[in-house]
Amino acid sequence: MHALLIAPFADYEFMRRALAGIFALAIGAAPIGVFLMLRRMSLIGDAMAHAILPGAAVGFLFAGLSLFALAGGGLIAGFVIALGAGVLARLTQIKEDASLAAFFLISLALGVTIVSLRGSNVDLLHFLFGSVLAVDDPTLILIVSIASLSLIVLALIWRPLVLECVDPGFLRSVSGAGGPAHIVFLALVVMNLVGGFLALGTLLAVGLMMLPAVTARFWARDISSMIGIACVCAAGSGYAGLLASYHANLPSGPAVILVAGILYAVSVIVGPVGGLIWLRSPRRHLEA
Amino acid sequence: MTAQLRFHDLTLGYDRHPAVHHLNGVVEAGALLAVVGPNGAGKSTLFKGIVGAIKPFAGQIELGGLGVHDIAYLPQVAEIDRTFPISVYDMVSMGLWRRTGLFGGLGIGRRDDIEHALAEVGLTGFEQRPIGTLSGGQMQRMLFARLLLQDARVIVLDEPFNAIDVSTVAALLDLVRRWHGEQRTVVAALHDIDLVKANFPQTLLLAREPVAWGDTAQVLSAANLNRARQMCEAFDETAEACAAEVA
Amino acid sequence: MLTRRMIAAAVFAFAIASPALAQDKPSEKIKTVATFSILGDLVKNVGGDRVEVTTLVGPNGDAHVYSPTPADVQSISHARLVFVNGLGLEGWMTRLVSAAGGKAATVTASTGVKTLRMEDENKPGHMITDPHAWQSVANAKTYVANIRDGLIKADPAGKDVYQANAKSYLAQLDELEAEVKSAIAKIPAERRRIITTHDAFGYFGAAYGMAFISPEGVSTETEASAKDVAKIIDQIRNQKIPAVFMENISDPRLMQQIARETGAKIGGTLYSDALSKADGPAATYIDMMHNNIRQFGAALVG
Repeated sequence: MHALLIAPFADYEFMRRALAGIFALAIGAAPIGVFLMLRRMSLIGDAMAHAILPGAAVGFLFAGLSLFALAGGGLIAGFVIALGAGVLARLTQIKEDASLAAFFLISLALGVTIVSLRGSNVDLLHFLFGSVLAVDDPTLILIVSIASLSLIVLALIWRPLVLECVDPGFLRSVSGAGGPAHIVFLALVVMNLVGGFLALGTLLAVGLMMLPAVTARFWARDISSMIGIACVCAAGSGYAGLLASYHANLPSGPAVILVAGILYAVSVIVGPVGGLIWLRSPRRHLEA
Repeated sequence: MTAQLRFHDLTLGYDRHPAVHHLNGVVEAGALLAVVGPNGAGKSTLFKGIVGAIKPFAGQIELGGLGVHDIAYLPQVAEIDRTFPISVYDMVSMGLWRRTGLFGGLGIGRRDDIEHALAEVGLTGFEQRPIGTLSGGQMQRMLFARLLLQDARVIVLDEPFNAIDVSTVAALLDLVRRWHGEQRTVVAALHDIDLVKANFPQTLLLAREPVAWGDTAQVLSAANLNRARQMCEAFDETAEACAAEVA
Repeated sequence: MLTRRMIAAAVFAFAIASPALAQDKPSEKIKTVATFSILGDLVKNVGGDRVEVTTLVGPNGDAHVYSPTPADVQSISHARLVFVNGLGLEGWMTRLVSAAGGKAATVTASTGVKTLRMEDENKPGHMITDPHAWQSVANAKTYVANIRDGLIKADPAGKDVYQANAKSYLAQLDELEAEVKSAIAKIPAERRRIITTHDAFGYFGAAYGMAFISPEGVSTETEASAKDVAKIIDQIRNQKIPAVFMENISDPRLMQQIARETGAKIGGTLYSDALSKADGPAATYIDMMHNNIRQFGAALVG
């Protein structure tokens, strides 16, 4: 048992780091994912990931695989696009999703153009997939900081965020905080995606954000429990995924996301809230 | 009687077409005013203008020293996401926003207020229910409980009794009367003429332009109602710029 | 006015140039073809100005998997001599020569070299002849001798030139051999072991006493699994390997992580199967050897 579950982490430093990195990511990103899902913005996460990539690519062109350049470039691109799209959605008739689509597509095209003008580089492809096994100290510190900051800010904007989801009209009538809260939320999405892609690559970072959130939907009826379950799911997927990568020789990033996917599939079937099995053969109803 | 809401030559609308055309008048503090008119008469538009959701084409609205956020507003169609995982209790507690702000805690005193408000609307025992499980009437009562907690001086209700069962309407009307007794200004858009005649001392009959405004009995005369019915519902695509505005 | 002047100027220019145009083509250089860049460099050094060398597999190319082009067929059909490495390096060569026709004679540079065996990378466990003989300077000297003799046979008129060139180049190679030996001597005996994905250093290792170990697990193309990383860490620890030369591995950050955890050094770029471009650190055979021993020294000394 010990050899199966604990030994890989006890014996190898790179395993411990990977676990710490994924746990931090899980705690930071899962709550964001829950809100994205509840606000019908699940695909926005993917769009934002595409928006961040060109920024990181430009950072890479200037300074190679430096953490500062990649994260900085990604953050700047993400913020500019999130803010631009959010502000435009508030000011004009265009809804958020269309505004964001327009921005991220432009950003993507711009990024591809810049990179191809300077010549492509094989290394760039490799951070599409990232490596949670290669997390070094500065990266780990960055990921943990992002997660902590994210949690604090989320606690601060909790009320307007919830209201914006459930009754935006009411929020507008009692406070002007809706707009700013929304933009701050988008900033959190960007931050967590940047942290995610440093460890898991852009393609998989969204996975750790969204899959646990969608899984939690099948286990909880109120938002606080949903967030708790999503965090546990995400952290658990990280742990099990790393073990799978170790024992079954699977690539690490995809293994984590696959475990999260399996958890989702299982929840769809047996989850207490709307699981398929309960829809097919419901439990007996109560007296009153 | 002091003026609570004052309309100066107010024109509101969409896409340059006026939905409310040159409205002048005063809503006294503590008034219980019904706004009546055919479909498309501009009632919702007027309310949206009062709470600042849309900007007037021309003219002004004065709010008697209150801020736009101090007015409690119940829209005709609430943009509520019923699938959101939130309980009745948490939903109603949002009414305390003006007092707790972004971060204020919901202490013991506040909890009592919330329980009390739920009791007023007959929703005791519903605290932990997800809002998605409420019936139309229960939802409306929940929203009234939230309004209660807002403790606002001005309350604007846009067709609050649409598609609501009779006993709920009775309960909510009690609340409205209570508010009136507390000298709060209540303005409500309503379709049920009999209900208005029975419960609302003042009425504004609106058909894009004000047809009549004053005591309910006089305003809701047959002649006035007829005139209001003649208002053309559709926007006139061939209309010229408003002469009055140029002057 | 202007037009007449311009015509006069043009006629004048033509008059000056015509002697040059009327000249005969310069004297014939011997056209030769070398299969890959390292061989080509050796041929150039022995042949000097008397030969024109066309190299098929250029700098940074891979002779094992090369696909010949029609231009290559052309080069061979016009050539007098074709130099190949032999020992199974150019599997594609025999077909090419027969396709080209022409009157080229083939010189196998590795004739007379004492060969080593290596594991066939396509069939693990199966042993074949290791073709990378040039990695030992002593063998390179044999190559030079074979090249010289081949050139003399095809072009007896240039015998003196070829012998002189070969003699002076062999002296350079003697110097090189001494440098390599002294560089390796500077490395403490227990540190003369590295991990590298290059499989071409068998002869170097045998000649100069270094161990070249192939990595277990982590590969250059695919994304690493945790098991792969653990395997290579174990290997480095158990076999006490001081440096890792895997410059083309997929994620350089992963290399750094492995180096951090094991204390191994990450080595620079090695050249084994081909020369670098002209402006690179291994543009000639001698430069290549210098580059490699420099990299070994940097990673392993101290």
